[in-house]
Amino acid sequence: MMITITTAAICLLAGADTENAAPAGQNLAIFADVVYTSTGEVIEGGMVRVRDGKIRVVSKGAPAEDDVHVAAVTAGMIDLSGRILSSRAVEQSNEITPHVRATDAIDLFSVSWDRQLRSGVTCVMISPPDDNVIGGLSAVVKTGGPRSLSARTVKADAALRGAFGSQPSRRNHPAFGRPTDFFSRRPTTRMGVEWEWRKAMYDAIAAASDETRAFAGHERLMQAMRGELPVVAQAWATQDIRTAVFLVEEMAGHVEGGIRLVIDAGAEAWKEPELLVRSGSAVILPPFDHDGRTSDGAFMAWNVAALLAEKGVPIALSSHDARGADDRLAVQGAWARRGGLSFADTLAAVTLTPARMIGVDDRLGSIEVGKDGDLALWNATPFEAGSRVIGVVLDGELVLDPRGGK
Amino acid sequence: MTVNKNPHTNERSDREPSGAVTTSDSNVESTKMKILSRALALSSLAVSLAALPATAAEDGTVVLKVGKIITNAGAPIENGTIVIENGRITDIGPEAAGRWDAPVREFPDLVAFPGFVEAISNRGMDRPNENVDVAPFLDVRDSIDPVNFYFEDCLRWGVTTVNVQHGSSCVIGAQGHVVKPFGMTVEQMSVRPRSGVVLSASPKRGKASATQAQALRRSFSGLRRYLEGLVQEKRDGLDFATREARYQGREPDEETARGRVMSGEGWKVDGLELVPRWEIDEKQEPLLRLVEGKTPAYFYCGRPMDVRVAIEVARDNGFLGRTTLVLSSDCWKAADEIAAAGVAVILSSTLVSIERDPLTGEEIETFVPGVFADKGIDFALRSANDSTQSLWYQAATCLGNGMERDAALAAVTTTPAKMLGLESRVGTLEKGKDGNVLLYSGDPLSVTSFCEYVFIEGRQCYDRSTDTRNRHIETGETPENTAPEEGAGEEDDLVGEEGDEGDGDGEEEEDGAKD
Repeated sequence: MMITITTAAICLLAGADTENAAPAGQNLAIFADVVYTSTGEVIEGGMVRVRDGKIRVVSKGAPAEDDVHVAAVTAGMIDLSGRILSSRAVEQSNEITPHVRATDAIDLFSVSWDRQLRSGVTCVMISPPDDNVIGGLSAVVKTGGPRSLSARTVKADAALRGAFGSQPSRRNHPAFGRPTDFFSRRPTTRMGVEWEWRKAMYDAIAAASDETRAFAGHERLMQAMRGELPVVAQAWATQDIRTAVFLVEEMAGHVEGGIRLVIDAGAEAWKEPELLVRSGSAVILPPFDHDGRTSDGAFMAWNVAALLAEKGVPIALSSHDARGADDRLAVQGAWARRGGLSFADTLAAVTLTPARMIGVDDRLGSIEVGKDGDLALWNATPFEAGSRVIGVVLDGELVLDPRGGK
Repeated sequence: MTVNKNPHTNERSDREPSGAVTTSDSNVESTKMKILSRALALSSLAVSLAALPATAAEDGTVVLKVGKIITNAGAPIENGTIVIENGRITDIGPEAAGRWDAPVREFPDLVAFPGFVEAISNRGMDRPNENVDVAPFLDVRDSIDPVNFYFEDCLRWGVTTVNVQHGSSCVIGAQGHVVKPFGMTVEQMSVRPRSGVVLSASPKRGKASATQAQALRRSFSGLRRYLEGLVQEKRDGLDFATREARYQGREPDEETARGRVMSGEGWKVDGLELVPRWEIDEKQEPLLRLVEGKTPAYFYCGRPMDVRVAIEVARDNGFLGRTTLVLSSDCWKAADEIAAAGVAVILSSTLVSIERDPLTGEEIETFVPGVFADKGIDFALRSANDSTQSLWYQAATCLGNGMERDAALAAVTTTPAKMLGLESRVGTLEKGKDGNVLLYSGDPLSVTSFCEYVFIEGRQCYDRSTDTRNRHIETGETPENTAPEEGAGEEDDLVGEEGDEGDGDGEEEEDGAKD
């Protein structure tokens, strides 16, 4: 019986600070009782062969004795809720900071990377904290590989991050006398948060035709309004989801293209799914809570994922950088299953759908020839209480070996 | 009698138990709905378990025909029958038959499983921790709240036996009580009163490790001095103890009227037979029972270093043989010491212990039950306060980490049953055992299975199809004419605030009586 799982294997790469993710010419074959490709295809007795960091062959195949052979293989999972940042990553000069990049605050030496990687998450989106109304630009990065940003980054400016609801206004207060801290500022209410969003949008539109009104990051806002940059906005409660959707619809009347909205932590998305359908929005669900009580007063029903899937709303699951083994992304998949989400939809919600939301599905999210060699290796059928990720392949390299010490 | 779970709908079912009963009855349904809606209106989405279907015979007699019986004692039985008479299983097997007039319930699509056994819990109580350091004269029965949501959750997750014990913030805690999670009063819920005493080797708030250990030892040396004093008084022909006992309002009964030689494996006080037992102070008597080995001890260890203290105190005072250690997740480091002492353990709900290598900064994960299994130590699992991580989930997690299914199941059924001295009553589905049966929609350890019905001692206590609060949690559906949930709309916590991070999480888990 396996007693202690050290993560030493994962860190083999840490020392080798090269820009190349995988040694050239390396060839690795993973055999599995079932290969779940995320494209709809399920291969029993399957094999995935990776070389030079990319998937080269996906087929049926029988393992020889020394081969890596597991019960199931899926694409490496993708978690869009990452916050592996230095603790003081909030830009304090303004509550609208669309020009600030989360990349610059990423903490490459955090233990969270290994934690994510060994639980089968090979890619995370790192976003600025939600203490600002519009926090800045999120980055999509691999969870392992050389400890350099350039080597790990999949997409630098993948989304514009912002927040509705109470968090950006929380703790804020007007500065009486001498302002002493970050929270001596506005907005102080939900209304104020919404007003800041709208003001930023209209200011950006004005700046587009009048150079004198330019401000930092206004081009980013225009990109977002033209639909060139997805907007990932935190909105837990249904009132905040409404605010977001109505804002999207309002701005569509002013700028061609329209905002591509992704609601993050949309716990109450189950209440008015038709709003999301109408606006073509996607939802990232926060971790499940046993009695449905999440943050910001929002109630998340257990069937939220199943309900949204049924309505055709794209959904991704997320783990909010969970530390404990019971709250990580694979377990969120299990809870979504318990809420009635089908296996195929659950698999999509941690692989291909999040990849599509942030436009990295050309490289990630499924097991297809030519895509990145990022795989999660399971000891049993995924998304069960009794199943676990026991091996991980990242950029074609076996970074967690399911055979244990071998 | 019908046990009514909700105080606001304290109406007895006036239906006569009928003989052959069908599973659906429109009249029953409408009564149920009436009671349900009232309960909900009054008590904000409480599950009303008031509506006991008439199909559960009042005297705990029922015949269950199920698609599959996982007996947890040998091979599963396909299309089997469980006969429960007066609350006990009288026959089980493919061909078992019950009394001619016993109601028959047929569940061809469901899987029967014995109820899970919670080895220790501090929930379902008013407050789990008493301020007084040494308080074994108290009893959790006075703190157990039968309508606490915790007991509802137990049914939902298939836990049918709960050892409710004092929390870990103590030196010596109150007397515990084993209950079934069903009934209006503690008496109705009772399975075993005075089910053990809690001790803690981890410092109670305000104490240091050394003062905690000292307080533990002093409790017993104080008991010894007190008993020696009593014996001396008797030898001197004094009767202070008799007068004090009468002053405290105690009277002798048949059993306590005479003295007895001190028994047990620990230290002895010569001449204790001179002291009639009823004269022994009620604050000292529970400790004497401990030293005489007459009551189980549950010893909390919040850190690996606490294990030595716990074993030493238990051994020095003669109750090591009755001791079960209640461990935090990092106590696996003391597994050798525990194995040498030969005591059983109850593990923390955090099954994967995480610590950081101080040199490399890497996290090291240790699957805790695996360590104890390898050392041959009996271990029971416990639920997290968070109800999703109930015993079925804990057992499933063990499977995921490579443990054999039988071993994982034992840790949530037969092993805790043995710890509680209830191995002849709960933990498996066998002839002679309590009629505690869960009916699952599939494999009990699968995320997609649900506990559809719970029978406790032959009486149906839970039906998922009428569990309104569960439906609210699962689908968000709010039944008509119900008050909004308390606390809805409160903005007390926000994103980015994670739960407890500590490894030594024993304290947090054990202290919170959450409701």
